[in-house]
Amino acid sequence: MKCEQIAELLPDYLQGGLNPDQHRTVDAHLEQCADCSEEVAVWRKLSLLPVEQPSPVSRVRFEAMLRAYQAGRSNQPPRNSQWRKLFSSWNVLGWLSSPLGAAAWSAALLAIGVFAGFHTVNPPKPPSPSPGLAQVEAELANTKQLVVLSMLQQQSASSRLEGVNFTTREEQLNPQVLSALLHTLRYDPSVDVRLAALDALSRHSAQPQVRSSVVNALQEQQSPLVQVALIDQLVEWHDREAKSHLEKLRQSQDLNPTVRQHADWAISKLN
Amino acid sequence: MTLAPDEDLMLQVRDGAGEMLGVLFDRYQTPLFNFYSKLTGNRTLSEDLVQEVFLRILKYRQSYRPGTPFRAWIYQIARNARIDHFRKFPRERAFEPDMLPPVRPTDSAQEQQEVELLHRALLELPEDKREILLLCRFQELKYEEIAELLGCELNTVRTRIHRALQELRKSFHQLTQGPALKPAGAAASENLPPRRGAP
Repeated sequence: MKCEQIAELLPDYLQGGLNPDQHRTVDAHLEQCADCSEEVAVWRKLSLLPVEQPSPVSRVRFEAMLRAYQAGRSNQPPRNSQWRKLFSSWNVLGWLSSPLGAAAWSAALLAIGVFAGFHTVNPPKPPSPSPGLAQVEAELANTKQLVVLSMLQQQSASSRLEGVNFTTREEQLNPQVLSALLHTLRYDPSVDVRLAALDALSRHSAQPQVRSSVVNALQEQQSPLVQVALIDQLVEWHDREAKSHLEKLRQSQDLNPTVRQHADWAISKLN
Repeated sequence: MTLAPDEDLMLQVRDGAGEMLGVLFDRYQTPLFNFYSKLTGNRTLSEDLVQEVFLRILKYRQSYRPGTPFRAWIYQIARNARIDHFRKFPRERAFEPDMLPPVRPTDSAQEQQEVELLHRALLELPEDKREILLLCRFQELKYEEIAELLGCELNTVRTRIHRALQELRKSFHQLTQGPALKPAGAAASENLPPRRGAP
């Protein structure tokens, strides 16, 4: 049989789809034809090509995308326990706190850092950056926000702290990240993380909800450290409206004496 | 314990159980990544495209119909994601020479060297030929599924696979026999195939 006729059978031969007679016909041809048998050999050798593994960051990005998508779809602002409940139902936290997850974060942060560094040195030139670059930048900014949102949900306080600190590199916060930071300030179980969140939010005092959240947090926080930091922040902002809240705070019966003293000092400063 | 079929998981995703997409991601991210990396020679782009595929699955999950083989469906999406990407960024289609696997004829064992040369020969194939070989050899798609994917007849698929394999054999033969390595950038000069009607 000629090569042209064998060519019709060869693809099915390679996938084991021929009947026994046809199979024998092809086998017989292959014994005589160097070109066709080399083709079969090349096909078989293809299976030796290595299977490449995607980087661990790929999984992190997927999880962040999935959560962001779900959160966006539910179209509700994240709220207290529902927020945490929603996120804990996604089985990723364990993975993210594993050494592999830590490595993934490091890699993601490094990549973002390099990009940010590059742009600090070489800012895009006006008036018309290429649409390709703009698209990549937009996607990267989106990824950064997803990473931050994901980090703020971590079980480990140090990861959440890292997430909070990460937001301080941004001049503008996306509403979702801002909302997550405000939530962290109010409800994070770790004092350090709450303090860091306050510090991060202080850079965005132009946003009205930041000031009102800090004022409200004053009544909710039990930790003297956080209370003092909140008071300092309100003084720094010269927020006169905060005065009545400070008065209310100092009336609290079980208030730490140092905090009360600090509130008195703040009220005098705001007068 | 038996594993849930992809199709069942996708139906759950469609009906709102988004976390099931994680299982599908675990099953498909490596095959998809290899499909893209062997097709484009670019790891970063391949990872981005894998993300895009899963984002599209979420976006278009309502369009998944019971009985549709999931593997064929996801590769349809994967193919379209790549085509759309290169429409937006045509310049990225060119290979960087350093993305090719290194060829070290003197210090590698023979089999290793052959694998590297074969990989190189594959990357030098025109994109449509490389794609069809990847789909049937590495992604385990049946010829019928490839025909559906590429929008052509079953016999056309057989012919195209054979031609691709012939060209791969010739290219591999040249690489193993002679030192004249042609620049791989030529591989990226093909026109894109028409986009098919799926997400």
